[in-house]
Amino acid sequence: MTITKITLENFTAFKKLEVEFTPGINVLIGANGTGKTHLMKVAYAACDISKTQLNFSEKLVRVFLPSGRALGRLVRRRGKSTRCVIEVFRQSLKLRISFSNHTISPDSATITGAREWMAAPVESVYIPVKEMLANAPGFRSLYSQREIHFEEIYSDILDRAYRPALRGPIDRKRKKLLENLQKLMVGKVAVKDDEFFLKSKHGNLEFTLLAEGMRKLGLLWLLVQNGTLLHGSVLFWDEPETNLNPTLFGPLIQSLLELQRMGVQIFLATHDYVILKELDLRRNEKDKILFHSLYRNQEGDEIQCHSTSEYTEIHPNTIAETFVDLYNREIKRTLEGVSK
Amino acid sequence: MMVLREGMLELTLPPGVRCRKFDSPTHGLQHCMKAVDFIVEEPNLTIFIEFKDPDNPHATPDKREEFLQELLAGTKDDDLVRKYRDSFLYCWAENKVENPIVYFVLIAASQLDEAMLLAITDVLKRKLPLKGPPGWKRRIVSDCSVFNLESWNKHLPRYRIRRI
Repeated sequence: MTITKITLENFTAFKKLEVEFTPGINVLIGANGTGKTHLMKVAYAACDISKTQLNFSEKLVRVFLPSGRALGRLVRRRGKSTRCVIEVFRQSLKLRISFSNHTISPDSATITGAREWMAAPVESVYIPVKEMLANAPGFRSLYSQREIHFEEIYSDILDRAYRPALRGPIDRKRKKLLENLQKLMVGKVAVKDDEFFLKSKHGNLEFTLLAEGMRKLGLLWLLVQNGTLLHGSVLFWDEPETNLNPTLFGPLIQSLLELQRMGVQIFLATHDYVILKELDLRRNEKDKILFHSLYRNQEGDEIQCHSTSEYTEIHPNTIAETFVDLYNREIKRTLEGVSK
Repeated sequence: MMVLREGMLELTLPPGVRCRKFDSPTHGLQHCMKAVDFIVEEPNLTIFIEFKDPDNPHATPDKREEFLQELLAGTKDDDLVRKYRDSFLYCWAENKVENPIVYFVLIAASQLDEAMLLAITDVLKRKLPLKGPPGWKRRIVSDCSVFNLESWNKHLPRYRIRRI
């Protein structure tokens, strides 16, 4: 069961927003501060509690980490009493939470639909911008025992990465996907005493000695290999382009398209032109891709969203606009140069 | 005003400039040298113009796709570079290299956005090349730009191109 819709009212930067999602790949674009990560974190928190059975409000606090762990700080700041409402939909299921800016304890929030929601658990993964595998040894136990100021997404991703491989034979599509990732990494990922290594014919290389982009591919390999990313699961990936050489964007997008074809719902937040263009060039007619452009209205006080399945119809497209500006200045320089 | 035609595209020249259709039978060396489509002579500037027209209505979707794939893979760069260099050599042998030369390439493909045009322009600048080693006393090309139909007409309004 995939995430089909989210509505947000007075939540963080959002005044009122409704976004419908495709069961395939959802690509979130927009300038900094338009709420891409917040939208993904809400969806992830909702997915995660369906398995962990944790209170939705508690998970939101752990994932967003508001100061003093006060839930009310997630309400849009208006200088007056305000109530926020979040609704997450999975087909006919609806998980709803409301709380005010005065709410401190997560227990004070009003939640409906949680029982039915948790009766249909969904596997989910959130890959944050910062790579964590290299710093994994000891982090999880530190996180569980001490009050360290890290959003829970960092601990969650390690939990998923440490899962042992699934029992039984690997199906053909997964095997092919793993092989493609292995070719890119020139090796496989191995875990020894909580430490991650890239295992190749040259031996084991510590993740701390491995390029950060490669560690990201290694993480994806682990999640496929250990069966976290299977049909019906949801992957959230915040800026997959970070620390990855652009030559690897194509193969990475190909892997994500393959995952989508296997029935994994995907959410990507990106600032990168090549990521968008690779999706546009590599998709086939059956691939389900929806681009969501988040932007502030003219007054700047409200975030809105325009969704389209066509790359050329993404509007506004701040990434393309940057290139238009660069191109125009490049031509201007050439023409001015030759007319001197 | 002079109007020149190349395939399904028509180039209108401003008054006072001279132009020759360079890639034509009068070239005489097409068996061994490549040629740009047009050479325009302004009073103080020479413009080499090359048209690529994958959006040509007669092109099949497969051909259009193949062209774009080759373009994005970088295999068309060498063709564009060779056309320029061979044309430059030809003009040099004619003793007609007097003014600085700028190379304008039109790729009439609606799918080419500004990011791709920018990338192709940068590659072309590196490969022509725009600048030589310290020992070079002259440039073989002053500058170059790659356009799609829309950006050509926007930035070069004196040299309008229209599809016939």
